[in-house]
Amino acid sequence: MIVKGEHAFSGRPELVWALLLDPEVIAKAMPGTRELALTAPNRYEGRMVVTIGPVTAAEFALVIMLEELAPPRRFVMRVDGNGRFGFTRGTARVELAANDGGTMMRYEADLQVGGKIAAVGQRLLDVVSRTLLRAGLAALGKELEHRLGDGDRP
Amino acid sequence: MTESPSWLGRRVPRNEDARLLTGRALFVDDVNPPGTLHVAFFRSDHAHALIRGIELGTARRRPGVVAAYTAADLGEFWQPGQLLVAPVPVEGAVFHAVTQGPLARGKVCCAGEALAMVVAESRYLAEDALADIQVDLEPLPAVGDLEAALAPGAPVIHQGLGGNLAARARQRKGDYEAARAAAHRVIARRFRYDRGVSGAIENRGIVAAWDPRAEELTVWDTTQAPIPIRNGLARVLGLRESQVRVIAPFIGGGFGPKIMMHYPEELLVPWAARRLGATVKWIEDRQESFFATTQERLQIHDAELAVAADGKILGVRDRFLHDTGAYDPYGLTIPINTQCTLLGLYDVPCYDSEFTVVFTNRPIVTPVRGAGRQHGVFVMERLLDFAARELGLDPVEIRRRNLLTPDRFPHDHGILFQDSAPLIYDSGNYAPLLERAAERVEYQRFKRETQPAARAGGRRLGIGIVSYVEGTGIGPYEGARVTIEPSGTVRVATGVGTQGQGHFTTFAQIVAEVLGVEVGRVEVVTGDTREFGWGSGTFASRGIVVAGTACHEAACRVRAKAVALAAEILGVAAEEVELASAGARVRGAPQRRIGLGELARRANPLRGAVRPGTEPGLEATAYFGPDRGSTAAGVHAMVVEVDPETALVAIRRYVVVHDCGRVINPAIVDGQIQGGVAHGIGNAFYEALAWDENGQLLNASFMDYLLPTALDVPTVEIVHLETPSPLNPLGVKGVGEAGAIPTAAAFAQAVEDALAGTGLEILEAPLSPNRLFELLQALPGAAR
Amino acid sequence: MPGVSLADTHPVVVTVNGVPRERAVEPRLLLSDFLRHELGLTGTHVGCEHGVCGACTVLLDGEAVRACLLFAVQTDGHEVTTVEGLAEGEDLHPLQAAFREAHGLQCGFCTPGVLMTLVPFLAEHPAPTEADIREALSGHLCRCTGYAGMVEAVKLAARAAGHP
Repeated sequence: MIVKGEHAFSGRPELVWALLLDPEVIAKAMPGTRELALTAPNRYEGRMVVTIGPVTAAEFALVIMLEELAPPRRFVMRVDGNGRFGFTRGTARVELAANDGGTMMRYEADLQVGGKIAAVGQRLLDVVSRTLLRAGLAALGKELEHRLGDGDRP
Repeated sequence: MTESPSWLGRRVPRNEDARLLTGRALFVDDVNPPGTLHVAFFRSDHAHALIRGIELGTARRRPGVVAAYTAADLGEFWQPGQLLVAPVPVEGAVFHAVTQGPLARGKVCCAGEALAMVVAESRYLAEDALADIQVDLEPLPAVGDLEAALAPGAPVIHQGLGGNLAARARQRKGDYEAARAAAHRVIARRFRYDRGVSGAIENRGIVAAWDPRAEELTVWDTTQAPIPIRNGLARVLGLRESQVRVIAPFIGGGFGPKIMMHYPEELLVPWAARRLGATVKWIEDRQESFFATTQERLQIHDAELAVAADGKILGVRDRFLHDTGAYDPYGLTIPINTQCTLLGLYDVPCYDSEFTVVFTNRPIVTPVRGAGRQHGVFVMERLLDFAARELGLDPVEIRRRNLLTPDRFPHDHGILFQDSAPLIYDSGNYAPLLERAAERVEYQRFKRETQPAARAGGRRLGIGIVSYVEGTGIGPYEGARVTIEPSGTVRVATGVGTQGQGHFTTFAQIVAEVLGVEVGRVEVVTGDTREFGWGSGTFASRGIVVAGTACHEAACRVRAKAVALAAEILGVAAEEVELASAGARVRGAPQRRIGLGELARRANPLRGAVRPGTEPGLEATAYFGPDRGSTAAGVHAMVVEVDPETALVAIRRYVVVHDCGRVINPAIVDGQIQGGVAHGIGNAFYEALAWDENGQLLNASFMDYLLPTALDVPTVEIVHLETPSPLNPLGVKGVGEAGAIPTAAAFAQAVEDALAGTGLEILEAPLSPNRLFELLQALPGAAR
Repeated sequence: MPGVSLADTHPVVVTVNGVPRERAVEPRLLLSDFLRHELGLTGTHVGCEHGVCGACTVLLDGEAVRACLLFAVQTDGHEVTTVEGLAEGEDLHPLQAAFREAHGLQCGFCTPGVLMTLVPFLAEHPAPTEADIREALSGHLCRCTGYAGMVEAVKLAARAAGHP
């Protein structure tokens, strides 16, 4: 499943970069994330709970690795999620470009989903992943506003 | 012989129905002794992966969990499964046998392979414990596309083979190249016929009880083959066959995958029962069944037909790929069926067919109703339809010109069938099948009036007529024991199982006819190895032919004993004794009579002696082992209406003219055909398994895998013609799969006919509304 | 219930086929499992556990429901009728007799659920057309019969009850 798009943030790329790599921020922003911590350089581990159609409260153990870091422009994120209801694996490429005082983030992810979630939730995967992403990006945007408001100025 | 009309050919209501209708019939999941432990399997989500580690500690510590096992815990018990069917000895054939172990070891080769087994106090707790299991799998690229699997660089599923080729075999007769050179036209196409599940409403299940004091294992299993299961379990568990009893009680639909033997669960549950000294139970759930139960198969054919100017077949050449899934326990059965059934009712002078069997990271493929025959029929019938179009012939006419005539029987096709014997059609009379079908569906009137009138009114109606053969009734053998009890009840025991096809009634009819009793007084026992321990099972449409004949033979022997004893008691010659109305009597003097129950008592004296050379009681056992199968045949005709905008297809009429030899119970035969057609309609139109490129099945539930409902299946109009088989005394042939075999071919012809003029060619099955819509959109000149 | 402490259970009092039954069950116990394994009424069968095949159909206060989609605790204080409640002793219910006469079943696994849907259906539609019957059956999956025998059985039952 390919997921791609773009999202505009109101802070500079350096600020957005810091936000994206802060596990506490991500944990708060992504719906269903129960915990997320940096366990080694560029390696995050945690848990996430998702509902996809008939599969409710599917819990995943997540491992996220960051690679090809070129701050504050781009990075590659590899995700490995495993749980009783299936697995998800994928790679996302994220690019940040300065845009009129703010930042334009472009992302493209190739996600593989398997197990029960794929077997009974197939129709909904598209919708659910978009919904989660939208909610997550909106939450990130809010957090950024919050930080800007608190005086994290360029 | 009997006063009342014969039991044979009568629509007798079934003996077993009262139990089934009142919910008193025992199915495997109904077996629930107190203290039963329950099993859940931890299955791989990945279709292809290396197993780096499995951790069961947490699962084992969960309250209510009794034990948990991986392959390592099985020790010497772990072995690759037995090859169930030796490959048919086609000259020059290549066959690599790779079978599945009971729990995955080293690597996983398809999604759903079991990695661990949990035993707990309830199924709910066992499933809870699955969440405790940590498994470390290193995913490998998965392959499902047949051509990709054979391409260089494809992920290799079984390392030792160096590639994914499982088998290759070629059968030939005559000189196809010469036929091709002499042909007026050569019609060549690529066909694709895809997978489906058997969809029995009862999932699989097994209950195993080890009695440590009697040292006996009792197993209830949803199997079509209790005797081979008993034999296999005795062997792998190191027990005597007499220590193992396997019972196949009422089974909620077989259709083939329940004849697949020694499934991992069938070995592991009894093993666990023995090890734990307990009763252990596993019932499959529906989602598991999409992975853990075998299913039917994908084939891709590159086929061509060489025809003369008058439409006569000069030869056929076929090269096809067959998907066996991750393992190949069933030998070459299915592709050989395809190869043989392609020849159909026709005179095919030259034939060159080669198939390649391919391993893929998909669930294992073993026979499902039709077992590869439908693929052969689809290819041949489609090629004939395209030839007819090119030659300007009517589809019925081109078939008529190629039918084997009655003087050509028995007809040896010069190639081998799935039972490793030469493919010889025993008897058949094909032209009447075609003519009756055309007549019944009013073919001429449809083409001349009905269709054009509908078209003028904006409706697209189409008609399809196709033919098929079904090889049935193969060996090796079955047996039966018939006993007249002192109560007057007749007891019949045979080794085959019953999954809804009415053996409790049809076998009773056969025996009742011989012994002159009411069908309701004949009690039939099937599927219990303690009752009858010799036989193979219910598969390949052979129940009535092989087991039914054995019942007949055993009943005849009992009849002879009864007559001899009655003659002695009544003081007449044996020739003057007849059996009727549950007794033996003197012909012409019916008042001189002795009841069968009384006769049975007298045959078992408490005093006196049984004479040498005779046996006590009125009982006999007989076996029947045909050296080859008998060929049933039929023609299906279907009228459809297609909505060209939405691509929805409605079936307006469905006619089957079928010849399965002598019909014992018309209601039951009609039921088999009606049910088979429903299955065929599903496979032709509604049922499609959807896989992604990583071997993930995307529709593993009845929400998204669509079985046809009462709104989708019309009542089939059935006509029976009977060409008795010369191979058994009753003249019967099998019928279990007939309905399902030609449906896709009929469907394709009818839909193309409805959309004639658009250039549509249907070269695949199943064809869902989506797919038909896509095909229509892709045509030049399609309205967008 | 095996493996569960009494503290985690709820009491359920439900009348099944006219007989009040009382048990302490886990809240997550499905009605289908309750009927089959707690009460030993194995006539109701389970085909899919996701409410599509209809094999588990029973009557809840006279209405057809899927027992695999309900929890036993939801039936507390209600009335359930299963296939075991249709026949009177040795006498088959007229619908059961019609199924036998018309060869409306083969393996019999989906049959109890079908019967439980048809009982209220026939009560409400005593003279159904073939289209009505097929519509009523459309919520049931059968792999054996192709439905024709079931349709005939319903017609037969309707006629036997005096409705041509």
